[in-house]
Amino acid sequence: MDIISVRDLTVGYGPLPVLTKLDFAIPAAKITAVIGTSGCGKSTLLKTLAGLIPPLEGEVFFGPEKVDYLSEASLAALYRGIGVLYQDGALLNNLSLFENVALPVRMRHPDMPEAVLREIVHDRLSQVELIEGAAKYPAELSGGMRKRAALARALVLDPAVVLCDEPSGGLDPITSGHLDALILKVKETFRTTFVVVTHELRSIERVADRVLVLNGGGLHLSGGLAEVRDSDDEFIRAFFLRKVGHDDA
Amino acid sequence: MEDNMMATVFLPGRLFAQDIPAAFKEIQARREEGPVTVDFGGVEEFDSSALALLSYLHGCVADIHVTNVGEKLDRSFQAFLGGTPPAACDVAELDLPTRFLHSFSNRFLAQMRSVSKFVALLGDEIYYTISFFRKRRGVYPGEIWNQLFFMGYKSFPITCLLVFLIGVTIALTSAAQLKLYGGDIYLADLVGYGMLRELVPLMVGIILAGKVGAAVAAELSTMTVLEEVDALKTMGVVPEKFLMVPRLVAVTLAVPLLVALADFVGIGGGILVARFSLGIVPSAFIREMQTAVGLGDFFIGLEKSLVFGWAVIIGSGYKGLTVGRSAGEVGRATTESVVLSVSLIILIDCIFAIILYY
Repeated sequence: MDIISVRDLTVGYGPLPVLTKLDFAIPAAKITAVIGTSGCGKSTLLKTLAGLIPPLEGEVFFGPEKVDYLSEASLAALYRGIGVLYQDGALLNNLSLFENVALPVRMRHPDMPEAVLREIVHDRLSQVELIEGAAKYPAELSGGMRKRAALARALVLDPAVVLCDEPSGGLDPITSGHLDALILKVKETFRTTFVVVTHELRSIERVADRVLVLNGGGLHLSGGLAEVRDSDDEFIRAFFLRKVGHDDA
Repeated sequence: MEDNMMATVFLPGRLFAQDIPAAFKEIQARREEGPVTVDFGGVEEFDSSALALLSYLHGCVADIHVTNVGEKLDRSFQAFLGGTPPAACDVAELDLPTRFLHSFSNRFLAQMRSVSKFVALLGDEIYYTISFFRKRRGVYPGEIWNQLFFMGYKSFPITCLLVFLIGVTIALTSAAQLKLYGGDIYLADLVGYGMLRELVPLMVGIILAGKVGAAVAAELSTMTVLEEVDALKTMGVVPEKFLMVPRLVAVTLAVPLLVALADFVGIGGGILVARFSLGIVPSAFIREMQTAVGLGDFFIGLEKSLVFGWAVIIGSGYKGLTVGRSAGEVGRATTESVVLSVSLIILIDCIFAIILYY
């Protein structure tokens, strides 16, 4: 079953399209990696799926519902179903880690009893192994800790889909591996769907069930990880062998 | 035949960045006299600036003929710039009036877009503030008190100091003139009227613009650049409500307190000058002031200050939330927020003056 479907989607900033005529579907309870060279439009696509940039053309369906980017109600419904892990975490710097993770719950359920809220946040921080740092502020955390905290925040309302923008970006291989393991654990435990924008080959190999390859302003190829990785396509071969000259990963 | 009539510029054997200005100047000087041939035959050592010069001469300029490009230079040119069209052609070929019109219309449209966004934000904030008082949702618990502490308590010392100094300055300046005409006692009327109706509201507004407005713009623009505002949106939080309503409520609560204290301190400055400069005792000063100003004047000043406070928060919030994505924009947004806030304060003050006195 597909949880996100995209039809004839053109995305970009202002009048300039970055990606045109995209047609693809994101299967539920799977991890879909979106890969491509730097500047190919991966993050722009993710922001469009997250409702932050309206599409220039085409349609996005979240489940059976079409997302209307001009309707507050439609966007609110989309936001109820998604969590987003931003590239640098995007934690609020004036709030402690605990309050950052508690924020979505406080805003969505203002009447939630404080005792229950503490349990929810405690559980999420335990899952990402950050319970000792709950009272710390984002500026006091390392890059890896900030990413894990941001993942806890993205997961706190049990979204059906988590959109991750470069989760391994800027992390060392060990921390990146821990984060990937965490994403896999969440997927297995809660059957959460992940869309992961990345160009980290190790990360793709570890977590991806499916891969969407963006190149030349459109969708180049899509399919299961093995199918894409073993493809004879010249760009794919170059990408997986890391021979593309302008890949700065 | 025609080739024979062309002036020829022979480029030097070493053509590096530091040699380009002289070569280019010579080519341009010869070009004013007619078509020019540029001979690259002597060029043996060069850097990327020489390739850029070759690219420009090849692609852009019809009355310049390039000749004798050596094999080494040509190979480098093809390898580095062969497929790249020259960059400067379009700009160079536009005439001055067209460029001016192009630039003017772009700026005008950008300004109109800014104004429409500002008006939209103003409407949104009125709606969100009313909806907050109805449902008490969408704002972080305790944030109003944090903002109130910052805007009220932390602004209190500087506001009092500046208003006291203004009170002393106005009283000293006026006392000298009033003394000439024997109207010493009217200093009380002047200080009271001026402070309550004009100077205190204006000073409170300007202090808010410089201290609170700059802080709001810097904080919100940093949040925008660091994707924190995007994160709020995807949590289902409305940033324009979450970030702005606490500040608007806080400024509404802080301004009356600041104005009341500033009125007291400013008039105190006047009383001090009257006592030591003109020998008017404080009781006489206050009695005379009461004949000229009343509670209505205090409330007019209060209303003005409240409107100034809202203008500062909306103006700074607008600058902070509409910033681009680079760190450099934070500084620009902060500076622009102060300019916008002070401009709005003066504009609103002028509108008040027209309403009250015209």
